[in-house]
Amino acid sequence: MFEQVVKAYNEAIFDTDRERALKVVHDALDDGITPENVVFQIVIPAIESMIKAISENFDASLAQHFMTSQIGAEVVEEMIPRFEHGQNVIGSVVIGTSWGDFHGLGKRIVTGCLRAFMIDVTDLGLNVTPMRFVDEAVAHNAQVIGISSMMVHTARGENGCLKVRQILKERGLEDKIKIAVGGAPYRFDHDLHKTVQADAWAENGITAGRVITNLIKGGRT
Amino acid sequence: MITGMERLVAAINGKESDRIPVFCNLLDQGAKELGMSLEEYYSKGEYVAEGQLRMREKYGYDNLWSLFYVGKEAQLLGCRKTIFAKDGPPNVGEMVINTYDDIHRLQVPDDISGHPEFQESLKCLQILRAEAGGKYPICAYVTAAMTLPAILMGMEKWMELLLVGPADVRDELLTKCSDFFQKELTAYRDAGTDVFIYSNPFGSTDFIPMKLFKELSLPWMERDLKPTGTQGVVYYCGSSHFNNVIDMVIEHLGISVFYLSPMDDIAEGKKIIAGRGLCCGVINDIKLIDWSKDRIRDEVRRMIDQGMPGGKFLFGTLLMPYGIPEENIRAMLEAAYEFGSYEIREQR
Repeated sequence: MFEQVVKAYNEAIFDTDRERALKVVHDALDDGITPENVVFQIVIPAIESMIKAISENFDASLAQHFMTSQIGAEVVEEMIPRFEHGQNVIGSVVIGTSWGDFHGLGKRIVTGCLRAFMIDVTDLGLNVTPMRFVDEAVAHNAQVIGISSMMVHTARGENGCLKVRQILKERGLEDKIKIAVGGAPYRFDHDLHKTVQADAWAENGITAGRVITNLIKGGRT
Repeated sequence: MITGMERLVAAINGKESDRIPVFCNLLDQGAKELGMSLEEYYSKGEYVAEGQLRMREKYGYDNLWSLFYVGKEAQLLGCRKTIFAKDGPPNVGEMVINTYDDIHRLQVPDDISGHPEFQESLKCLQILRAEAGGKYPICAYVTAAMTLPAILMGMEKWMELLLVGPADVRDELLTKCSDFFQKELTAYRDAGTDVFIYSNPFGSTDFIPMKLFKELSLPWMERDLKPTGTQGVVYYCGSSHFNNVIDMVIEHLGISVFYLSPMDDIAEGKKIIAGRGLCCGVINDIKLIDWSKDRIRDEVRRMIDQGMPGGKFLFGTLLMPYGIPEENIRAMLEAAYEFGSYEIREQR
């Protein structure tokens, strides 16, 4: 029965069908599946399954990424208050778009995925200054700063990741806080994350959930 | 001397000229050429026309642009704030649509040619036409109904409305955007534009699943293009792949020029098009910022070797980033002229 629930949920998110996905979850709860199992055995594996599919050249679309992360975040938010032993957050991240960049979709997909992975996310919004990225990371005790950029000049520019790196260095925070980057320019130049001195990058919003989780756990991608 | 228009017409008809057509999409670089800030440059149609003409003369490629920046379309629909950068394209500074009520209130201008926000574009077009009309194809950028909402309400909110919002509100917005598209394309055509870059990332399954492509994108593209026809229309999905939908686009829409993604396989694209249209191979121009001249030359050669056999091929760029060094622009173009030359190819 459990396998059928997982299959039904996966099919619903691949079809970008929110109503169907939520119905699968609620029916599962009615059938006695615990909120913990909904999160750890259904929602997170569904995201992992999409990451695996993308890595194997399955052509998942942006819409599927978006719905996977949004439904995942929505279900996790609903389930956490019902957990028997409370919430077990695995880390903290601040995320925003780089200075001069007003494109928020990628950031939102990443945020949804991270929340589904039980990571505490502070969304700093659009057009974030390098100083604010660092100040907010310190204030929230974040292990990772996520910087999303849709345009070449906002990814490479002097007020993007390079400046965040410089501030972290000046304040001696490089060991405590890592930087992850993503967005269109990085997909078209796989070396760009090195140019801008990030610790890691992700090809898409869904994969970013795993990349950032790895950074929190101390690995690099 | 052979003109860019002659090269393009020859390529469309599967004939040889001196070389394949080369489209180089330099926009913001015009400001540097005129020694202005981007904000000043984009304030006058005369400046943009002068920038376009100077850059084409300087580098020798085959096309001219009437496009200022993509956010201009939002201005025609009520956006009053544009944010200018010093080293990249301007951003839409306020969303025209923030609530569903804004969709109900959205008004498509009856007469785009007479719209105050279109006047500088018209001036630009008049100058381009007077100076280069008939000699070099003049391009316009027109956003498809399925994609225009992203500029008006932001991609996040548009994705939400598209995927989980009320269908009647979605369709009301798409109808208005499609009406706008038809009027905009007509205004550009009336002003003497030759080539219409029909921009639609939602025409790619990188953006939406195939099911939604068939159920939504295809019918809305049919609606966009029904009254205007496809003369001069170029299928373009930004930087997104679309080889897998080319057959459907030819069959349902009748478009016959395809401006591929840099990530699409050119040889595969040509094979799918199978002589039914012009295939444009597009370089990954972000890499031109850092690549060496030799690396650029190798890449241009690789692309042209894939696309040129059998004819009906054009070499092109995306919207070239402002940070590409001038010598790298030259290196790319010189390689394209050399490897795209029919005479040199015969000797090879």
